Amino acid sequence: MNSNILIAENNEKRKLLDDDNKKLYEDMLLYIRLSYGKSQQESEEILMELLDHLLILQREGKDTAELFGEDPKRYADQIIEELPKTLTKKRMMLIFMGLFYFLGVSTFFNGFFHSILYYGFGKLEGSETYYLGTLTVISLVSIGIVFVVVYYVIRYLKWVCFKRINKVVDFGLTAVLFGIIPFSTFLALFYLVPDMGTTITVPVYSLMIIGGIFFALGTLLFKKS
Amino acid sequence: MSVRSQLLKGILEGCILAIISKESVYGYELAMKLQGQGIDVSEGSIYPILLRLQKDKLIQGEMRKSPSGPNRKYYTLTAKGYESLASFKKNWNSLKVPVDQLLTEEEEVE
Repeated sequence: MNSNILIAENNEKRKLLDDDNKKLYEDMLLYIRLSYGKSQQESEEILMELLDHLLILQREGKDTAELFGEDPKRYADQIIEELPKTLTKKRMMLIFMGLFYFLGVSTFFNGFFHSILYYGFGKLEGSETYYLGTLTVISLVSIGIVFVVVYYVIRYLKWVCFKRINKVVDFGLTAVLFGIIPFSTFLALFYLVPDMGTTITVPVYSLMIIGGIFFALGTLLFKKS
Repeated sequence: MSVRSQLLKGILEGCILAIISKESVYGYELAMKLQGQGIDVSEGSIYPILLRLQKDKLIQGEMRKSPSGPNRKYYTLTAKGYESLASFKKNWNSLKVPVDQLLTEEEEVE
């Protein structure tokens, strides 16, 4: 049984949990799923076993401490420690998949909005000129930033698990850490990197095509993995 | 880690292998069988051990339809698992008698 079927089954079964057990279990689920580099199949199998066990305890009116102990986070760490790692090749493919999707979506929307502004409202230019050197530097640094942001988003989400954190505080922290800081870095990057290298000029609509190609590459990798 | 939990860790692995060698079981069933034997561990503590035994290829899990109700993951022993169980039994037997003897002697001295 593959992991997608297990996930779908898990989503259905979870509805049977009462509120307290559900909160606890979903923290456990998120925390374990966020442990990157671990086999997804094995993760979903153990999550299903824990859910089945929890449902039996609930039916018998027993305490959840029977299953996760007094410190659920420590229990989750023990589980993660014993989960096998995913094959490195598969991991690499997932990283490239993410990268292509990111490049695809950002290039597509860049072209899309530019085209609307130009052809619809006569704003901006009908073509965009790029300095290849600058473009390369900005792309590489952006990719680096995306990796750092994704890494810390995962760290943050794991940190929030098993805590009852105030929603307003959570929202504020998320906005500053993952919205404002990376966004300002991107802006700074565009202004600060000087023009260098040869130039190429492309019509703005072609950016949508380039974006589409990146997206297709990402999908190809997604199907393979 | 307390002495008790250190002692239990290795022994628990051996007991789990012994139970699975008799018949294939799923997680909850295994926890019940351990408790039925009077081995008092929290029910959750078996899952990290099951994962480790799987990683070491001593047992293997298979999702199977149970006669009543949902699909469950049933565990069976591998050839390596049977070997490991045999060596656990050997080690346990060679320890059991001397340790028992030692502990009773102590009681008599007191």
